[in-house]
Amino acid sequence: MTYKRDPGLPFQQLEEETIVVDPRTREVHLLNETAARVWDLLASSCSLDDLTETLAEEYDAPPEALRAGVEELLGGLREKGLLVDAAGAA
Amino acid sequence: MDPALRESAPRMDSAPRCQDDAILTAPGEHAVVSELQSMAYERMIPLNVSLELTLKCNIRCLHCYNFDRDTDGPACGSGEVTTAAPELSLEEIFRVMDELRAAGTLFLSLTGGEVLSSPHLFPVLDRARDLNLAVQMLSNGTLLRPGVAARLASYRNLLGVSISVYGATPEVHDAITQIRGSWRRTLEGAERLRAQGVAVRLKLIVMRPNVHEVGAMRALCDARGFPYLLDLTVTARHDGTQGSLAMRITEAELEGLYHGPLSDLIPSGRRAVDEAAFPCNCARGNAAISARGDVFPCVSVPWAAGNVRQQPFGEIWRSSPVFERIRGLKIADYPACAPCPDKAFCSRDRGAAYNASGSYTGTDPFVCAAAGVARAVADARAGEDARPVEDERRRSAPDVQLPLAVAAAR
Repeated sequence: MTYKRDPGLPFQQLEEETIVVDPRTREVHLLNETAARVWDLLASSCSLDDLTETLAEEYDAPPEALRAGVEELLGGLREKGLLVDAAGAA
Repeated sequence: MDPALRESAPRMDSAPRCQDDAILTAPGEHAVVSELQSMAYERMIPLNVSLELTLKCNIRCLHCYNFDRDTDGPACGSGEVTTAAPELSLEEIFRVMDELRAAGTLFLSLTGGEVLSSPHLFPVLDRARDLNLAVQMLSNGTLLRPGVAARLASYRNLLGVSISVYGATPEVHDAITQIRGSWRRTLEGAERLRAQGVAVRLKLIVMRPNVHEVGAMRALCDARGFPYLLDLTVTARHDGTQGSLAMRITEAELEGLYHGPLSDLIPSGRRAVDEAAFPCNCARGNAAISARGDVFPCVSVPWAAGNVRQQPFGEIWRSSPVFERIRGLKIADYPACAPCPDKAFCSRDRGAAYNASGSYTGTDPFVCAAAGVARAVADARAGEDARPVEDERRRSAPDVQLPLAVAAAR
């Protein structure tokens, strides 16, 4: 399974954090540094393995913990409707 | 990754203490947005930028702050505003939008003139969508024909539209706009846009010709189900002319409003004033760009820090002497405000102060008077509240910060 961020959502990086605005739900989300990096990677379709592998190269953290964190984040992003499927549909 | 993703409450705020940028703000603090605005303020990131697409307008409001609409255009300047230059081209606007994105802007407010009279509006909305900018618009609503409303609704990055209303009746509103039928078209446009699913807020500007209708204007919004914002401040024009001030309500009328149809919006009790954060979001989290490219600290303060035709926005934002001066201000630099006993009730409207006094740290007597009246009302209420019989309506009133520009939520 691959994931991609919804390209229609307004967002901005403020130094380490990223803000994502969802005008449909009128919610604003603040992503911390690591989550912001995942959001950045999700500009293209990525699998959980792809994301974990990239983060493992960039962060000094156990791969298992990274994978669990990414999986949890993806679940949250998907639940909030901030991702589209690999074909681009919301 | 803790906490990686924080949820916000379902309400959108914008810059604190700046009603022109906070076009979708409703009362109440929104934790995430407040935090973002604080981050922008502390880190000096231009999170909120107003972009004036055009000075052209299809109505001729007597109180317009741009220029005297009974003339062909701004004939003179205040010394800080570019008047003898063409408006920014679409190519120039695109370049500026790219610069804004790079500088950290997220919330882009499109204003005018009348934005819907600009041929650039839809290309700009396309560009904003492609740049992942969240857009808010200010409009008089009269040009919101069915096709236009539907087209606007197709922009997923459009947070909403603020539409100005100047009366509860067509006679009063149309006399201010000097266009017969404008009240009807404005409200029809607002309804049409809302029906398309776009968030609409009405902005009620209170002036001498409509001051007797304030209660009716609020009732109109309630009856039609529109959230609204009340603004009582009419300022001198950005072209340096003063004719708009004839529309400003008198202090006696202001007092009547605060004791009458607006009394439920005056906050009870005295608010603490954070003296370290006395300066507002101007030039810290907010900026504005005029139709001719001047960069201002906010939309209501025509103090040019530079012009995007001469310098990139980011360079102006980072190193303009005007912005550096504003950022360095402390409460002690506001000589009339620092010792003022009413500052806890003051809107601290820098636009009004600048346009009235010519100084960013000056004052506008109307704003000062308003703070005094608000304090008197709040003090009187504090005495009443000590009585055993409580007024439930007052207790449930929105808790608002600004006595001169009060937001009311449904």
